[in-house]
Amino acid sequence: MFGPRKPRLLIAKPGLDGHDRGAKYVAQVLRDAGFEVIYTGIRRTPEQIVATAIQEDVAGIGLSLLSGAHLLLFRRVIELLHAQGADDIVVFGGGTIPPKDIPLLESLGVAAVFTPGTSAERIVERLDELLCVPA
Amino acid sequence: MPRLELPELVRGARQSGPLAVRCAGRLMSLVTDEPQRLAELLAMCREWPQPRLVLGLTGSPGSGKSTLTDRLVLEYRTRFPADKIGVIAVDPSSPFTGGALLGDRVRMMQHATDPQVFIRSLASRGRLGGLALGVKGVVRVMGLVGCRVVLIETVGVGQSEVEIAQHADLTAVVLAPGQGDGIQLLKAGLLEVGDLFVINKADRDGAAALQAQLLAMLQRVDLVRHDRSANGVTTQVCHDVTTGPESDPSHARLFLTSAREHLGIAELVDALEARTEVAQERWRTEREEQIEAELQSAVLAEIERRAICTLRTNAAVVERFDRLLGGAEPLAAVVDEVLRRTIGDATSSTK
Repeated sequence: MFGPRKPRLLIAKPGLDGHDRGAKYVAQVLRDAGFEVIYTGIRRTPEQIVATAIQEDVAGIGLSLLSGAHLLLFRRVIELLHAQGADDIVVFGGGTIPPKDIPLLESLGVAAVFTPGTSAERIVERLDELLCVPA
Repeated sequence: MPRLELPELVRGARQSGPLAVRCAGRLMSLVTDEPQRLAELLAMCREWPQPRLVLGLTGSPGSGKSTLTDRLVLEYRTRFPADKIGVIAVDPSSPFTGGALLGDRVRMMQHATDPQVFIRSLASRGRLGGLALGVKGVVRVMGLVGCRVVLIETVGVGQSEVEIAQHADLTAVVLAPGQGDGIQLLKAGLLEVGDLFVINKADRDGAAALQAQLLAMLQRVDLVRHDRSANGVTTQVCHDVTTGPESDPSHARLFLTSAREHLGIAELVDALEARTEVAQERWRTEREEQIEAELQSAVLAEIERRAICTLRTNAAVVERFDRLLGGAEPLAAVVDEVLRRTIGDATSSTK
C-alpha cells in the first residue's frame, strides 16, 4: 500500500486475433506482482494503443499477438511512439512469435519478447529489470 | 521525454500537439503519486480554466458505469463537437500486493484516438472511499487542457463509499435491476449522496419494480425534508421526482437507461445540461471549498505514510509495539512514541 510503487503498464492486443488468454494471464501476473496494469481488450489498433499509453502515462506497453502480424504491428507501435516523442516508453511483448523473428523485433526496439512457456516469475523479473524497479 | 518539473509540465500541457498530452498525463501521475505535488498543483490551479460540470458516476460492480460513461462521452461529443471531455476511471488496488487491473477503458475504446477525449485510469491505492488520492488534481489538469465536462467513475462500490460527493458537482448513483429489494433503498450511505439515480440495464426484467422502489425512496426523502422544514414550506413534496409537473429537466432525478442499447442517454444529458446551466456558478464556489478538504486528505495521507514507515522500521517503536502485544504497554504510549519518532525522523531528514 505504501512504499515504492511499481510503474503503470499497458497490456494490449493489437490486430485481429481475439485470443486474449495470454494477455489476460500476463495482466494478472503483473497485477499480482504489484504493477498497475491497464488492459484495453482485444482487436486494438496501434494508434489506439499509443494514444492510450500517452494519456495514461505508462512506463511500458506489453503487446500480445497470436496472429503472425507481430513484425508489422510492433513496428507501427514503436514508430507511433517515436512520432509522439514517447520513445522512453518500454515496449515488450509475447505470443506465438517464431524464435527467428525475435532478433528482428529486438532490432526494432522491442525490449523483451516472452514466448509461450515463459514462467510468470521470469516475466516479472525481466520487467523489474527493464523498468528499474528497486528490489 | 525528459524529467520535467511541475511548472514546466503545466506550461507544456497548455500548448497544443502531442507533447501537451504527454505533459498532462505526466502531471496526473505527479499529483496522484505524491501528496506534495498535489498540494503544489492545487495551490497554482485557481486561475486555470475549469470544466463546466464534474459528474460522479458511482454504483456497484457490473451496474454498467463504464458503458454508461462511454455513452455519455459519445452524447457530449455529438452535441458539442468542438469541446473536450475528460474521464477519470478508478478501479481497486489489491490490498495484498498493491497491484491493480484497470479495465474500465475496455468499454471506452471507441474514443481512444479522439483527441478531444482524455481518459485516465487510476488505482485506488489503499483509499476505501471509492476514489484515489489526487482525483481533484486530475480534474484540474483536465480543466487546464480544456475539458468542458469531466466524468469520474468510481470503483464499483457497495453501500458506504461516498467520497465521490466531495469531488463531483453532481453524483449519479447507477443501479441495475436485480440488486435487492426496497429495504436496500432504506439504508443509509451511498444512496444519500445521489443527486441523480440512473437505473441502467432498464431493458431487463425488474427495472419497473426498481423504479417504483426508487420513487418511493425519493418521496420519503422529500417528505422527511418537508416535515423538518420548520416554516412548512410546501414546495418540493412528491411531484418533481421524475420529470415533475413542469417537466423541468433540471429537477429530474430518476432516469432509466440501457447504455448497451443507447437508450435514455439523451434524456440524461438534457438533465445534466439543464442542471449545469442553473448551478455552475455555485459549483465553482463549492469546488474552492473542497480544495481545503482535499489538502487535508493529502496531509493525512502523508502523515499515515510516514507513521507506517516509523511503525515498521524504527527499532524503539518496534520494541514498544512488542510490549503492547504482550500487554505491558498501553496503546497511547505506542501512539506517542510513533508520533515522536516520526517527527524526529522528519526533522533529522530535513536538516
